[in-house]
Amino acid sequence: MDVENVTALHQAPIASLQGRFSSIRTTLLSQILGRIGSGIIVLWAAITLSFISLHVAPGDIVSLLIGEQIRTPAIEAAIRAEWGLDEPLIKQYLSYLWRVLHGDFGRSYVLQTDVATLVLSQIWPTLKLTGAALVVAVVFAVVSAVATAGLRWPRRIAGGMELVLVSTPSFWLGIVLLFVFSFTLKLFPVAGDRNFAALVLPALSLGLSLGAVIGQVLREGLERALEEPFALTVRSWGANALTLRLRHGLRHAALPAVTLTGWLIGNLLSGAVITEQVFGRPGLGKITVDAVLGKDLPVVLAVAILSAFIYVVLSTLVDTLYLLLDPRLRART
Amino acid sequence: MKIPFRQYFLPLIAAAGTTFAAGVTQAADATPVTGGALVWGVETDPATLNPQLNGQDKTKLLLRNVFESLLSRTADGGYVPWLANEYRISDDGKTYTFTLRDGVTFTDGEKLDAAAVVKNFTRLKDAAYSGSASAGPVSKVADAKALDAHTVELTLSEVYAPFLDFAASLEILSPKAFDSAQLKSGGTEIAGTGPFILKRYVKGQDIHFVKNAAYNWAPKTAAHQGPAYLDEVTYRFLPESSVRTGALSSGQVDVIEGISGNDAGLFKDNPDFTYQNALNTGTPYSLFLNVTYGPTQDVKVRKALLAAVDVDAVLKSVYRGERTRAWGITSPIDAQFYDKTIEGAYGTDPKLANQLLDEAGWSARDGEGFRTKDGKRLSIEIVQAQATVRDQRNVLLEAVQAQARQNAGIDLSVSYVDAGTYTDRRKTGQFGSIANSNTPTDAIDIEYHYLPIDQGGSINYSRASAPELLTWLKAAASTLDAKERFALYAKLQRFAIIEQAYALPLYEPEDQIAAASYVKGISFRQFKQLPESAYDIWRSE
Repeated sequence: MDVENVTALHQAPIASLQGRFSSIRTTLLSQILGRIGSGIIVLWAAITLSFISLHVAPGDIVSLLIGEQIRTPAIEAAIRAEWGLDEPLIKQYLSYLWRVLHGDFGRSYVLQTDVATLVLSQIWPTLKLTGAALVVAVVFAVVSAVATAGLRWPRRIAGGMELVLVSTPSFWLGIVLLFVFSFTLKLFPVAGDRNFAALVLPALSLGLSLGAVIGQVLREGLERALEEPFALTVRSWGANALTLRLRHGLRHAALPAVTLTGWLIGNLLSGAVITEQVFGRPGLGKITVDAVLGKDLPVVLAVAILSAFIYVVLSTLVDTLYLLLDPRLRART
Repeated sequence: MKIPFRQYFLPLIAAAGTTFAAGVTQAADATPVTGGALVWGVETDPATLNPQLNGQDKTKLLLRNVFESLLSRTADGGYVPWLANEYRISDDGKTYTFTLRDGVTFTDGEKLDAAAVVKNFTRLKDAAYSGSASAGPVSKVADAKALDAHTVELTLSEVYAPFLDFAASLEILSPKAFDSAQLKSGGTEIAGTGPFILKRYVKGQDIHFVKNAAYNWAPKTAAHQGPAYLDEVTYRFLPESSVRTGALSSGQVDVIEGISGNDAGLFKDNPDFTYQNALNTGTPYSLFLNVTYGPTQDVKVRKALLAAVDVDAVLKSVYRGERTRAWGITSPIDAQFYDKTIEGAYGTDPKLANQLLDEAGWSARDGEGFRTKDGKRLSIEIVQAQATVRDQRNVLLEAVQAQARQNAGIDLSVSYVDAGTYTDRRKTGQFGSIANSNTPTDAIDIEYHYLPIDQGGSINYSRASAPELLTWLKAAASTLDAKERFALYAKLQRFAIIEQAYALPLYEPEDQIAAASYVKGISFRQFKQLPESAYDIWRSE
């Protein structure tokens, strides 16, 4: 669902932006409306698919909630009544949609807390982690690509390093980083979401492998750009190699890398699960995994809505970035 | 907030950090020092902070800082006063009377009186509040009433021997808690009478308690009286065992619990650290063999499996000798009901195993050396819930698997399953074996495993329903004569393990605590053997 939706969303606004300058207002308005409309469809699809898949997965909710404890018909009935599980599925589904429309995300079956409060309390640490990891990834990718593109040995070494990073499980990378920088050198603290220093190692362990993937794509793009005629023109102006790479080459190379980054951010969110676990950080990751395993429907649905929302926002951002990066897209009629 | 780390090089942290030891005066080891803060790395983040609804043993050490119960248990299984000064059981064994201690207050200002205690028991009977707990021992309470401000009387519908342990151990919540929106999830509004007060809880990160300065009602089983020594204590959730080890050895936390067999050596015999462990109570980690499905329906196959596996050798290779072998249906440290004559009463005997399997008709062998009957391989599928794989149990099961194959040609396969699949398999009964352990004391562990599934045997994995089991368990629960109960459980143990081979006991799980050497007063709870709260803990520097 994710990838297709995101690419579909990419194309829509590009097409709608093809209007002339005079009609830019109408275009913008219709773009925004289209964006909101498709956003709502994505959210609805996310809710519906999560609802169906959780009900299809093995184990019924009441049994999971009782677990290994004593079960009697009275207890089962009490649980069904408490969560409205005695209603037909379609009714549960519709009443959920109705409540979400009113901003009520329900209460967690397992944690017994208000889902909106729970998710909001855990979203900030996760956003900080993924945001920092994204910065790590982009900085790593740009530096490694700009510094080594087109240079025979440096690019081989960087490429090899990236390959190692991509294939290293982030769990293992996290443990190694902890052992070196926290337990042995005592530079960074291990746990929690307290201050900037506590964010460094988790961000590295989550961001480096992503940076390695983007770096490879970016380097290839850069190398292709440097072989194009415009590179020769720029050189003939007397620009030095770095200016050429940074100001001109990178722009051309960035488009595929930006697309890739856009949907790799989804990986960041799921990769955060393991990183949060290793570093003892609060966050959505563990909560989501536990909720899926325990069929904690209200939590799973809230997270699904949230991730769909993030995707919609991100794809909008990516589309906007296209326009900034490539003037041709703005002018095309 | 104090930063409980040692100082780091980064200026950012150094600016924010204060050395916590500053407020603590130096003292010799012998005289406890008041003051200071402690950081403890723990494995498990509680599912709920309401102790009455929380079934996770691994989180009891946190909750016990806040919540207390009527009586405390001594090492030999006896009872001493705590929130109750004394208790009486009527001659017919059905009426329990508790006299409450004077002057105890909850940290939200409410008084501990008979009405408050009665409210705890009556609310617990309500399935809408307590779910499964309502069907537990509290379901035997026919009537709970306050005779006067200090006297609580509980009348049971029938004699039920494990009731005293339940009533004595129930964590008493403030009566105000039952009106709070936080009741089920727990939180700062849910007050207890304990030596610490819950100040902050960040799911996935840590839980923070501060001292209750008014506290003055510790039980005799504690090492001191009056308020706790520490001003504050923080438990940080570090689910990865190697991360906990690293955090302690690099001085980022003061204490950790849950140490793998491989890491124990780092702290044992190291003057900078202390290391202690305690065997759990309750049922050992055992392979329960399904008597209603597949080859294990035949008692000969079950007995053959018990004879085929060399448990001692397996434990030695997997845990480097750091775990204790189990033989019976309850923990070898159970002071009341463990009959140790079971030890050595059966054992590894590959010859016997092979002979039993031949007799059972599993005499042919296939290309891989596994036994077969009518062209079908002798396969037993162990279903292990992914959630309870810890303490290298996956490695342990592999070692057992190898022994069964090598010594008797039995194909043990292990399926690690998610919670949903696990529940489904349990429900349908389609599995060869389930491996698990549990920790209740006072033979409640035995009831859960050996009562019929529909009569309270909520984890009767072997699905055994021999009429003897019910008869003995009922007889044992309905007498308060400890000797008679011991004899009945001993009989059941021999029947279940030796005669019927319902289970292959492997090892008794344990808790481990490692701490920096300046942390004093760490202990395990008497009798129940779980890590104790931070009440007696102090820092010598």
